[in-house]
Amino acid sequence: MDLLSQFVRYRVGIILGLTIIVASALVPGFFGLTTLSLGLDRASTIGLIAIGLTVLLIAGQIDLSVGSVFALSGIVAVTLQPSLGLGPAAVVGVLAGAACGAFNALLSVVFKVNALVATLATMLIFRSIAHWLTDSQPVAGTDIMFSITLAKIYLNLFTVRSAMFLVGIVLLHIWLTRAVAGRNLFAVGSSAPAAEASGISVGWTMAAGFIFASTMAGVAGVLQSLATNTGSPVFGSELTVMVIAAVVVGGTRLEGGRGSALGTLGGVLTIASLTTAMEFSSVPAYFQQVVAGFILILLVVLDRTVKPRTRAHSAGAPAP
Amino acid sequence: MSSASEPAQGTGSRFQRNSAMLELLSKAGLGLAILVVILYGALSSPVFFTTGNMVNILTSMAIVGIVVVGMTFVLVVGGLADLSVPATIACGAILSLALQPSIGAVPAFALAIALAGFCGLISGLLVGYVGINPIIATLGVGTIVLGIVQAAVGGVIVYGTNPASADFVKSRVFGIPTIVLIFLVVTLVGHFVLGRTTWGRWTFATGSNANAAKASAVPVRAVKAGAFVITGLCAGLSGGLLGLTLQSARPLVGTGYEFSAITAVVVGGVSIMGGFGSVPRAIVGLIFVSVLTNVMVLEGVRTPTQGFVLGLLIAVAVAADVALRRRGVA
Amino acid sequence: MAHRITTSLVSALALMAAVGTAEAKTVCYVTAADAHAYATPANEALSARADELGLEVLTLSQNFDVQTGTEQLNTCIARKADGIILWPLDPQAYIPGLARAQAAGIPSILINSPMSEQANEFIKSFTGPDVYEEGALAADSLSDAMNGEGSVIVIAGQAGNGTTIGRVGGFVDRLKELDSKIEILDTVNADFDQQKALVASRDLITRFGDKIMGVYANDDTMARGFIDAWKEAHGDKPTPPIVGINGQRDAFDSIRSGEMYSTIVQSPVEDGKLAIETMANILDGKEVDARLPIPLTVVTKENVEDVEPAF
Repeated sequence: MDLLSQFVRYRVGIILGLTIIVASALVPGFFGLTTLSLGLDRASTIGLIAIGLTVLLIAGQIDLSVGSVFALSGIVAVTLQPSLGLGPAAVVGVLAGAACGAFNALLSVVFKVNALVATLATMLIFRSIAHWLTDSQPVAGTDIMFSITLAKIYLNLFTVRSAMFLVGIVLLHIWLTRAVAGRNLFAVGSSAPAAEASGISVGWTMAAGFIFASTMAGVAGVLQSLATNTGSPVFGSELTVMVIAAVVVGGTRLEGGRGSALGTLGGVLTIASLTTAMEFSSVPAYFQQVVAGFILILLVVLDRTVKPRTRAHSAGAPAP
Repeated sequence: MSSASEPAQGTGSRFQRNSAMLELLSKAGLGLAILVVILYGALSSPVFFTTGNMVNILTSMAIVGIVVVGMTFVLVVGGLADLSVPATIACGAILSLALQPSIGAVPAFALAIALAGFCGLISGLLVGYVGINPIIATLGVGTIVLGIVQAAVGGVIVYGTNPASADFVKSRVFGIPTIVLIFLVVTLVGHFVLGRTTWGRWTFATGSNANAAKASAVPVRAVKAGAFVITGLCAGLSGGLLGLTLQSARPLVGTGYEFSAITAVVVGGVSIMGGFGSVPRAIVGLIFVSVLTNVMVLEGVRTPTQGFVLGLLIAVAVAADVALRRRGVA
Repeated sequence: MAHRITTSLVSALALMAAVGTAEAKTVCYVTAADAHAYATPANEALSARADELGLEVLTLSQNFDVQTGTEQLNTCIARKADGIILWPLDPQAYIPGLARAQAAGIPSILINSPMSEQANEFIKSFTGPDVYEEGALAADSLSDAMNGEGSVIVIAGQAGNGTTIGRVGGFVDRLKELDSKIEILDTVNADFDQQKALVASRDLITRFGDKIMGVYANDDTMARGFIDAWKEAHGDKPTPPIVGINGQRDAFDSIRSGEMYSTIVQSPVEDGKLAIETMANILDGKEVDARLPIPLTVVTKENVEDVEPAF
C-alpha cells in the first residue's frame, strides 16, 4: 500500500522516466544534444501556455480561448512590424494577449459567467477577430533572418524559447511555494468563500489568473509568429486541448486548489517526449492520440485512487 | 468526489431559489430575442418566411438538436459538458455505414448507436464512479475513441451501400422531413424523462446538491454516469442519421458539434453549474441560434464573422441570465 | 542498381557537402495527415516507391496543424536527414525552417501545395498538383458550362487554409483574366465538410433562388452537399452546372447522372510517386525542374468513362 501511494505521488516523474527510456530505445540518438534541445524547443510552445494555465487552474478557473489568443497575438505582432518595428510590435502582440485575458476576466469575474462558458465564447470571438484582421489569409513578417536567429541553439542546448520556458517554470515554482500571493492562489482555488473570509481578494486573484494565462498564450503566440515569420488565423486551433492535457497530466486539478510548477514541467516533457518517440517510430497520428488519451486517463485515475489518503493532508494545508 | 459541482456550490444554491416569476422573465427574454431576429429576418429578406426556409431551419436543427437533448442531461446533472461528442458522432456515422454490407442497414444503425452509448458509459463510469473531472474524462475518452475510429477506417471515406435507408432518412411526412420528426420524438422523450420521471428528479437533485441527494438515497453515481450514456446514445443516433443523410462518413464528421450543442444549451439558460434547466429551454436556445445563423447566411455575413456573433451571443445570454437571477435573489 | 546509387552518392556528397555515410539515405517526409482520403494514398505511394528506390523514409504527420509541421521541420534538420519533402499547409510559415534546412545543406522539395514566391530560393522543386491551377481550371470549366455568363456561388473550404486560398484565388483570378461576365454571388466556407455544405447550400438556395446558375465547390464532398440541398428544394429539377475538385468516385457517378458538370482529377498516387522520384534525382545529384506538375484532368461527361477516379 505504501509503495502504491509512493508510486502515485511520483507518478508524473515515473511516467516521464518510462517514456524517456522507451524513447531512447526507439529513437537512435535520443540523448544527443541536438535532439534534446529541439525536443525542448518543441515543448516550449505548449510549456509557455501551460505555465499560464497552471496558475489559472490552481485558482479553480479554466481558459479554453488560449489557442485563439495564441493566433491573435501572433497576428498583431506580425501585422504591426512594418509600422512599429519588430520589437515594439512583439510587445504590442503580448499586450493584445493580456487584453484578451482582461476581457475573459471581465466576463467571468465581473459578470460571473462560468469560466468554461465565458472562454468558450471568447474562443469563438478571438478566433473571429483573427480572421477579420487578416481577411483569413496568413500574413508575412518583414524580417526572415530574425526567425532564423530565434532558432539558434545556445550552450548546445537552449533556444530563446526553451530558455524562457525553463526560467518561467523555475519562477513559477518559487512563486507558488514561497510567495504569499502564490499560497493565496491555492486558498482561492480550494474554497473561494473561505479565502474571501480570510481576507484574500478572490475576484482580483482570479482576474489576475485570467490575464496571466492569456499573456502567456500571447508570449507563445508572438514567439511562434516570429519563429515562422507568419501570423495566421488558423494557428493554435489544436493547442488548447494539448495544453490542458499537459497541465492535468502534471497533477494540477481542474477543480482548483492543487497543482505545481514541477508537475507541469513533468507533464509537458512527458507529452513532448512521447510525441517525439512515436513520431520517430512512424506511429500514425491517430494511434498517438490513443496513447496520449490513455496516459491522460491513467494518470488522472491514479490521482483519484489515492484520494482518501492524500486528501486529509491536502485539505488541511490551505485551510486557515 | 463531487467533481465539477464542487467549486460551483457557492452559486449553485441560488438556482434552487429562483421563483416562477424570474423563470418566466428569463424565458420571455429569449423568446423576445427570437422574435426580434425573426422580425429582422422577415423585413430584410423576402425569402425568410417561406415554407422552404422554415423547413431548412428545422432540418439544420435536427442533427445537432438530438445531441442538445443529451447534453442538457449532462449540464443539469452537474457534469459540465461532454467533449467526446465528435468521437461518438463519428462512431455512429461510420459504423452505421461501414457495417451495412455485412449485417444490414437496421442492425448496423442499432449497433452504431449502442457502441456510441458504450463510449458514453466509459466516460460516465470515469465521471460518476472514479470521480474524474468530466472535461478531462470526456476529452480523454473522446481522443481514444476517435483514434480507434480513424485506425479502423484508415484514410478511407466510408460510403453508404443501402439506398433504401438513405431514402427513408430523406423522406417527408406531411411535408416535414423524417429527420425532424425523429428529432421531435427525441426531444419529447428527453423532456418526459427529465421533467416527469424519478430519474429526472434524481438528475436535478444530483446536479443541485450531490451530497444532499446522496443523503436522501439518490444513486448519485449512477445518475451522473447515466447522463453521459444518454449523451452517447443521442450523439450515436445523431451520427447515424448524419451518415445516412450524407451517405458518406469521415472520422472528423462530428467536429464542432460539442461546442454547437453546448452553445445552444447554455444560450437556452440551462445552468452549467447543474441543477437547473429543461429540455425545452435548451431547444429554445437552439432555435435562437439556428434562426440567427440562418438570417446571417441569408444576409451574406462572412462565415468567420458568424463565430464572432455566436461568441458574443453566448457571453451576453449567460451574463444576462446571471444578472437577472442575482437581482431576483437580492 | 546499388552500385549506381553508391557512385552517384559520391557526386551528391561533393555537390551538397552533406554529411552522410554509404548507408541508405533517409528522407524526412512531413505530410499533411495520415488518415485522410487524399493524403493516405499519397503517403502510401510515396513510401512504396521509396522502397523501390532504396530510400529510407521517415514520415511525420502534421495532422493538419501548421505549428506541428514547422516544429517537425526543425526535427528533420536536427536529425540530419538527407532530404526533406514538405507538404505545406501554409504559404509562409515554413520558410524559416526551409532556410535553415538549406543552411544545413539539406535539399528540400514541396509536395502537393505551393508556397509563396519567397520560398522559391530555399527549395529545389515543387512537385504535384497546383491548387491555384486547379482553381483556374475550375473557372475555365464553369465558363464553358455557362457560356461565359451568369451568376454563381462558391462553396469554399476552411477559411485561412492554404488549399482554400489557392483554389478560390485561382478561380477568381482566372475569371478576371478571362474578363468573364460570370458574377460571384457569394462565397461561403464549409470547411470541406459535406454536412456544413448541405446546411449552407440550403440557405444559399433560399436566398438566391434562380440566380444560382452555376456552382464552384472547392472539393467534391462539398459539391455533394449542394446537390443534396438542391434535391430537397427542387426535387427532380435539373441542377445548375456544378464544378468540383478531387475526382472522387461518387463525383464520377454524379457526372454520369448529369448532377455535376465536372470535377478535376488529381491522382494521390502520382502525387506521392513524383515527389519521392524527384527527391531521389536530387540525391543522385541530378538537376531537377523547379516546377514538376502532375497531370490534372478535367473530367466531364465526355471523358468520365476513360478516367480513373482518384479515390
